[in-house]
Amino acid sequence: MNPLIFTTILMTVLLGTMIVMMSSHWLMIWIGFEMNLLAIIPILMKKYNPRTMEASTKYFLTQATASMLLMMAIIINLMHSGQWTITKVFNPTASIIMTSALAMKLGLTPFHFWVPEVTQGISLTSGLILLTWQKLAPMSILYQISPSINLNILLTMAVLSILVGGWGGLNQTQLRKIMAYSSIAHMGWMTAVLVYSPTLTMLNMLIYIMMTLTMFMLFIHSSSTTTLSLSHTWNKTPLTTTLILITLLSMGGLPPLSGFMPKWMIIQELTKNSSIILPTLMAIMALLNLYFYMRLTYSTSLTMFPSTNNMKMKWQFETKRITLLPPLIVMSSLLLPLTPMLSILD
Amino acid sequence: MLKIIIPTIMLMPLTWLSKKNMIWINTTTYSLLISLISLSLLNQPSNNSLNFSLMFFSDPLSAPLLVLTTWLLPLMLMASQHHLSKEPLIRKKLYITMLTMLQTLLIMTFTATELISFYILFEATLVPTLIIITRWGNQTERLNAGLYFLFYTLMGSLPLLVALISIQNLTGSLNFLLIQYWNQALPDSWSNIFLWLACMMAFMVKMPLYGLHLWLPKAHVEAPIAGSMVLAAILLKLGGYGMLRITTMLNPQTSFMAYPFLMLSLWGMIMTSSICLRQTDLKSLIAYSSVSHMALVIVAVLIQTPWSYMGATALMIAHGLTSSMLFCLANSNYERTHSRTMILARGLQTLLPLMAAWWLLASLTNLALPPSINLIGELFVVMSSFSWSNITIILMGTNITITALYSLYMLITTQRGKYTHHINSIKPSFTRENALMALHMTPLLLLSLNPKIILGFTY
Repeated sequence: MNPLIFTTILMTVLLGTMIVMMSSHWLMIWIGFEMNLLAIIPILMKKYNPRTMEASTKYFLTQATASMLLMMAIIINLMHSGQWTITKVFNPTASIIMTSALAMKLGLTPFHFWVPEVTQGISLTSGLILLTWQKLAPMSILYQISPSINLNILLTMAVLSILVGGWGGLNQTQLRKIMAYSSIAHMGWMTAVLVYSPTLTMLNMLIYIMMTLTMFMLFIHSSSTTTLSLSHTWNKTPLTTTLILITLLSMGGLPPLSGFMPKWMIIQELTKNSSIILPTLMAIMALLNLYFYMRLTYSTSLTMFPSTNNMKMKWQFETKRITLLPPLIVMSSLLLPLTPMLSILD
Repeated sequence: MLKIIIPTIMLMPLTWLSKKNMIWINTTTYSLLISLISLSLLNQPSNNSLNFSLMFFSDPLSAPLLVLTTWLLPLMLMASQHHLSKEPLIRKKLYITMLTMLQTLLIMTFTATELISFYILFEATLVPTLIIITRWGNQTERLNAGLYFLFYTLMGSLPLLVALISIQNLTGSLNFLLIQYWNQALPDSWSNIFLWLACMMAFMVKMPLYGLHLWLPKAHVEAPIAGSMVLAAILLKLGGYGMLRITTMLNPQTSFMAYPFLMLSLWGMIMTSSICLRQTDLKSLIAYSSVSHMALVIVAVLIQTPWSYMGATALMIAHGLTSSMLFCLANSNYERTHSRTMILARGLQTLLPLMAAWWLLASLTNLALPPSINLIGELFVVMSSFSWSNITIILMGTNITITALYSLYMLITTQRGKYTHHINSIKPSFTRENALMALHMTPLLLLSLNPKIILGFTY
């Protein structure tokens, strides 16, 4: 695509999210969401083939439905409170509709069905933007309306998301689908603690974005989209195998890597609020996630996956230089000792 | 405590910057020096602990375990030299780095004051061990072994995290130095029963308790020699150490909550000892013998008397040294015949007489011959369990008999009798191997002269 046009479209995506995050008028927020949606469709369709068309269509339909539901909630809120400012939502019906709309945008269960299919149909870089940047806008709205969210609905959605994210990823070999299910599970963790301490939601979002960025960049570096092609990295760049191991273990939430920090803080916050069975269940279900990350590390770093000799001598193109990768790797694995500082940031 | 931790961390740059022919020499020498430093911690002057800082401390329970940990690193490095000799240099350095990382985490775990810090480091020891088992093990079963190891331990320890955080909310601090003065009886309620279970299950899986021990034979058998040594000698003792620390907070529920686990341990030690009599795989035999000895430690910790605590501590140290030595001996067999089957390498006494002497000493200490510290540990545990309930003496006596049976069975099968015709071309014992066995045996024998340093904090 023409670089100028691509830049314009990318800037529109950024502008859309910024408008959502910084507005105080509900209509502007809706406009921001629509701008974001319309501008990201060409980015999702960077490669013009039927697969990406299908993925973009699915994305557009679900997000447009969510925006309409959001508009309805805004209007009901307007009817009952008489004003357009963003504070807490005054009507329980509006609150429930808005939570469902934002859950659809985020990909929480039971609205998670679009995430794996859309992520699989698009290229790795577009998938990266989809799973990280696109989550910022809905999460910021959830943060702002958090005092008025119905706790039962949100917690149900969160726990079901962790369950679905764990179980759904078990049968996958395509890396983009694995990342999609991982995104569903992490969104579940983030929304579980939203009502108790929105700061921790933001912390979890930050660490999740760092880890997902790292994973996607490692995949882009080795141009691999399936487990099989990822298992050839020992041949091309052996160092990448160690980095994939560390980042995957961090995503699974193993101490002493930084992926453990949000889980620990969330469990602490939930326990302080006297819910003890819930964090135990959530932590145990996160082990399902860890299982398919471990399977990826087994095929990539810890064993030499069986492959034919032809595959070991693939064409070596010029090594992609990804500037941001080393600092991201360091941040996504070594941040745990900084927990006291990071968990009180607002 | 930093005088031990920082040199251990610095062993990692040492390996990466050493020349090709100096990596083993450098790391072994410096880790031996570090273990000499840790010996000074055994001098515990008062009844209380030696508090070095807010984060690290050492008391008569953790000091012997710490000395064992630091003593074991040079031994692990010496034992790994042969099977890594054909690997490229970077992989050798990676292996040593994994061992050193594991060592650092273990040292910090044994000396942590804050219980959540203990938990994080306890979990963190899983990662290097998993990498050592899965990457450097020899058979295809190692993948399954790594998964079982990781997931059994994680399933047990996630409730522990929740329990520790809820205890922190109740009492305000999890610093171990403070908790020993807190001493409040835990009220009797359903949620406190679950609290007890959540706290103890992590350590039960780690020990391992008889019903949850499935990961242990897999992990021990599939791991390379250094992995087996560190698993048997130290990682199991993490469970015992954790139990000894946490039970101070969990009274008086332990008196009735412990019954199912006591039954499982008492029955399990006989079961696993009996299975040892039917094993064909040498490493598997030693692994099941570890389960059996650790079941004794579980019984001792759950009875909670001063003598049983002394027995548990002594048994942990003694078993660490003995089991590690047995794994080294089994490995010396494996390196020569590339098989773990016991009957493939029989009659070794004729061919390798000095190694047969080490086999004899190791088997004798395994069956708890007087005056070794194994006997002191087992005897204290047997006596205290007799005072808890007279009937346990039957089970304990049966266990001691069966332990003697399988230890002697292992000794006689590998050493005595006519040698098989295919092993008369094996290499003679290396000096490194004899030194390894001597370094295992000497602390065992010397400690029987002064066992009070390993008897723990109730002496």
